[in-house]
Amino acid sequence: MAQKILRWKLPIALFCVLVAATLGSMGCGTQKVDTSKSVYKIGAVLSLSGPAAPLGQPEQNSLKMLESQLNAGAGVNGHKVQFIIEDDQSDPAKATAAITLLINQEGVSAMIGSSSTGATLAMVPVAQSTQTTLVCCAAGTAITKPVNKYIFRTPPTDSMAIDKVLGYLTGTLKATKIAILHDANAYGVGGATELAAKAPTKGITVTANESYGTTDTDMTPQLTKIQATPAQALVVWGTNPGPATIAKNMQQLAMKIPFIGSNGIANKTFITLAGSAANGVAFPGGNMLIPSSITAGTPWRNAVDKFTTDYTTAYGKAPDTFAAHGWDAGTILTTAMKTAGTSKAQIQTAVQATKGLVGIDGIYNYSATNHDGLTSADLIMIKIVNGAWTQIK
Amino acid sequence: MRMGDRNQVRLLWGAAALVAVVVVFTLIYKGSTGLQWILSGLTVGSIYALVAMGFSVIYSSTRVINFAQGEFTMLGGMMMFTLCTRGGLPLWLGFLLTVGIVTLLGAGFERAAIHPLKDQSVITVIIVTIGLAIFIRALAKWIWGTDPVKVASFTGDKPLRFFGASIVPQSLWVFGLTLIAVVLVFAFFNRTLLGKGMRAAADNPDAASLVGVSASTSSLVAWSIAAAVGAAAGAVIAPINFAAYDAGAMLGLKGFSAAVLGGLGSAPGAVVGGLMLGVLEMITAGFAPSGYKDAVAFLILILVLLIRPQGLLGKPADVKV
Amino acid sequence: MDKQLARLPDAESRNYRTLAISTAFILLIPVWARFIPGDVLHIDIVNVMVLAGIYACVVVGLNLLVGYAGQISLGHAAFFGIGAYTTAILCTRIHGFPTWLGVLAGTALSGAIGWLVGKPVLRLKGHYLAMATLGLGEIAFILFQQLKWLTGGTVGILNIPPLSMFGLKFDTDLKLYFVVWIIVMALMLLSINLIRSRVGRGLRALHSSEVAADAMGVNTSTYKVQVFVLSAAFAGLGGALFAHFQKYVNPESFVLAISIMFITMVVVGGMGNIWGGLIGVLLLTFLPPVIQALPQWLPGLPSGLQNFSNYELVLYGLLLILFMMFLPKGVADGLGRAADFTEVRARRLGDRRKAKRLEGR
Repeated sequence: MAQKILRWKLPIALFCVLVAATLGSMGCGTQKVDTSKSVYKIGAVLSLSGPAAPLGQPEQNSLKMLESQLNAGAGVNGHKVQFIIEDDQSDPAKATAAITLLINQEGVSAMIGSSSTGATLAMVPVAQSTQTTLVCCAAGTAITKPVNKYIFRTPPTDSMAIDKVLGYLTGTLKATKIAILHDANAYGVGGATELAAKAPTKGITVTANESYGTTDTDMTPQLTKIQATPAQALVVWGTNPGPATIAKNMQQLAMKIPFIGSNGIANKTFITLAGSAANGVAFPGGNMLIPSSITAGTPWRNAVDKFTTDYTTAYGKAPDTFAAHGWDAGTILTTAMKTAGTSKAQIQTAVQATKGLVGIDGIYNYSATNHDGLTSADLIMIKIVNGAWTQIK
Repeated sequence: MRMGDRNQVRLLWGAAALVAVVVVFTLIYKGSTGLQWILSGLTVGSIYALVAMGFSVIYSSTRVINFAQGEFTMLGGMMMFTLCTRGGLPLWLGFLLTVGIVTLLGAGFERAAIHPLKDQSVITVIIVTIGLAIFIRALAKWIWGTDPVKVASFTGDKPLRFFGASIVPQSLWVFGLTLIAVVLVFAFFNRTLLGKGMRAAADNPDAASLVGVSASTSSLVAWSIAAAVGAAAGAVIAPINFAAYDAGAMLGLKGFSAAVLGGLGSAPGAVVGGLMLGVLEMITAGFAPSGYKDAVAFLILILVLLIRPQGLLGKPADVKV
Repeated sequence: MDKQLARLPDAESRNYRTLAISTAFILLIPVWARFIPGDVLHIDIVNVMVLAGIYACVVVGLNLLVGYAGQISLGHAAFFGIGAYTTAILCTRIHGFPTWLGVLAGTALSGAIGWLVGKPVLRLKGHYLAMATLGLGEIAFILFQQLKWLTGGTVGILNIPPLSMFGLKFDTDLKLYFVVWIIVMALMLLSINLIRSRVGRGLRALHSSEVAADAMGVNTSTYKVQVFVLSAAFAGLGGALFAHFQKYVNPESFVLAISIMFITMVVVGGMGNIWGGLIGVLLLTFLPPVIQALPQWLPGLPSGLQNFSNYELVLYGLLLILFMMFLPKGVADGLGRAADFTEVRARRLGDRRKAKRLEGR
């Protein structure tokens, strides 16, 4: 009998304590600390580790720079701005958890992120159900097609980059037969699918459409297959280091057809990795990579020059396009807060009404039917000559 | 000769014959293109073989699968970058320093985290190696950042051509290192007293201590060798596959697959497994839609295991009663 | 002394008691979480707990396989994925398809595929089984990526409806929380009953020595396959819940790292301890958000350390190593020993008092 009591006494006592603790916390926990009056909070979920980390890191850098520049001045209408940045580790599940945390617990009024298409798509349902405006830094077409009321984008889309590449193929190279070699990840597949669908409308036949694994170290089998077709140019859709391996393998196989990359290689890392094999490679990229491609004296040119100087001073290297995406996402949201207010509805309306906003990637124009902001005119074709970028006119 | 050994030799011949058939078919059907696939496969396969050897060394002495083996290889590549590309040291010095430092790291880790767990179950130790892999990768990211880095080839990039196929000179360095490593590891485990004692220690620690090899020494030496082989591999393959903080995961996965395919615990098995995996991957990439090449490789691996559960060159597992 | 030990409640009845208490405890968590201001804790407890509950479905089943049947699997992310994709495809392609039926279908299909591959693969042992399951996981991942017409390829499946049952819509984290955790507790009850049964005793015999178990007339291969199917079905159930929680699936959520995470949860918590899986899940699911919240808890941190993404995984890896070094049999084992210790002490104390009373009389 005593034994039975002992067996249940401890748990029941424990349970009573728990219930008491619950009731207690109900009594004293009702006042929430409200700091939002003094600081405007914007959440950001970026891929700071995992495969998309090379995208997330520069985005984080420029958000921090924007934060300190705003707060050193007048902030937003006299309020300080805070970007609360969370890492999603390039994992969609972590991205969902992070955006939920930022919206429900930290009480942010708008969201930025994520760096990759997959993580961004995972965040969309949360942004939508909480009616929070989300400005993403990912380029996947599926994010804004169809248009979602709350989801906006800063980078040029993959479609725009593809249009640019097709223009280069038909205009400059006069190619009628091309081969595609793409990364098997979301970025590569998305780009290759769209390219293969659009090419025939420009009179281009796709002779081979091959893929490689993100971590593969040798792509010669795919290249020999492509070599056996009458392709006049090779379009490679992927991010580092895959395209660099392909460039080196092409040199090894003495393949002479032009190599056209995606905006995924619009960074100096590609040139470092591919070495001499990088020469002659062409790819679509933002104007900001070559500031001289923007007419001098325009507000855009001035903004790009200042951004490039500031970023280089702060982080010891020139900004890439990802840094520009992060900066522009922050600018779009803070500008909307300045003009309209900080309620979620006001921010959504103001972002959607953005017209002629000077960013670093380009000039942003949103509307109820267009949440992409940029057009393919905000991209240029760049060719690597002797290890340096030159604009193809 | 035991019955098992005879079966083993027969199966080995069978497997070799099968691979030979595939290779010959590819050569006849595709000519110089097929030769190109096979050469690429041998290069990639040698990389897998070197990583696999590290798995085998630790397994044969301690029965532990070291999930951080790929990270040793990653460290090898990154150290070469720091010492030679950044630091401007001559290749041979950078190589020796890289191998030395990573070996010390491996030995240090064994003393710090593996040795205290000597009485615990193998799976506990395996989880520790997973923790180590996460730890090393995160540290490497902190130190070197996220961008892949370039290490210059040892003897230039001018491809060598023969019979219409081509190969980069660095591949020859990888072949050479694989050959040296397998000979040294095999000789160590089969010709030296310490090596023989270490193999015995894995099966019967008491008997091994009679010849003066304790399980503790055995584990320390095994981890040092595995780290050294891993680092040497990383240093030599860095010019081919670009060193990056997160390269260890893929190398570990492929290396483990190769080690199991060849038979865990056998150095020649690791080489056979690695080369077979590499060649199969490249041939499937050539023939099949390339998106499925890894799936085909794993499918073949599983089939091999089902037909021969202890791998190609492995000994049948001891039955614990 | 012997008598005292004999009076300890047997492990099984203790399991039911612990289950009752932990259920009550877990169901009360959201109530407290409500009253902690978010900008103090910097962790969304309810949201993390839902994910933990989803992972718990997988890990409880995997613990049966690893801890009780002694068979390893490095491919359970595949079953997690099959469950998620099954319900995602059914509920988005067929308009008005009942979501709960989708969850059931995901569970069933995952179990069925578990039976198909389990039968041949479970002939392998130890590391070879680990390799084969790892390979199956990779193949599943590649299929999720490549079967574009079915799975949406790398983009995945968007707009998955929230779970709804009996006219109730579980569209917030809080509502889903109760569904998920009641399911987890049901799975726990099922597992406790299973290990008490004849099958459970057979399994334990299997774990300690397969040959002996075979000799004793335990049908080892059938048992192994049955447990594998059960764990696959549990994983499928977890995956299906995951799809309705996240409302979006893509292949990235079913990679090898996730399989390894599941196994790690089992071992860190405690293999072969029915509570081990649960403890492992809670510990490892809360570890990353806690590490991320650290800089906000300690505002005086030097600015170099404020950038948590740098040291988050360093700390995670280090903690994993330390856990295994100091609690090599798992956290549950440590807790269990602590509980035994206090219980024996308490009892000894009680006996001493009783003895004193007797003496006094």
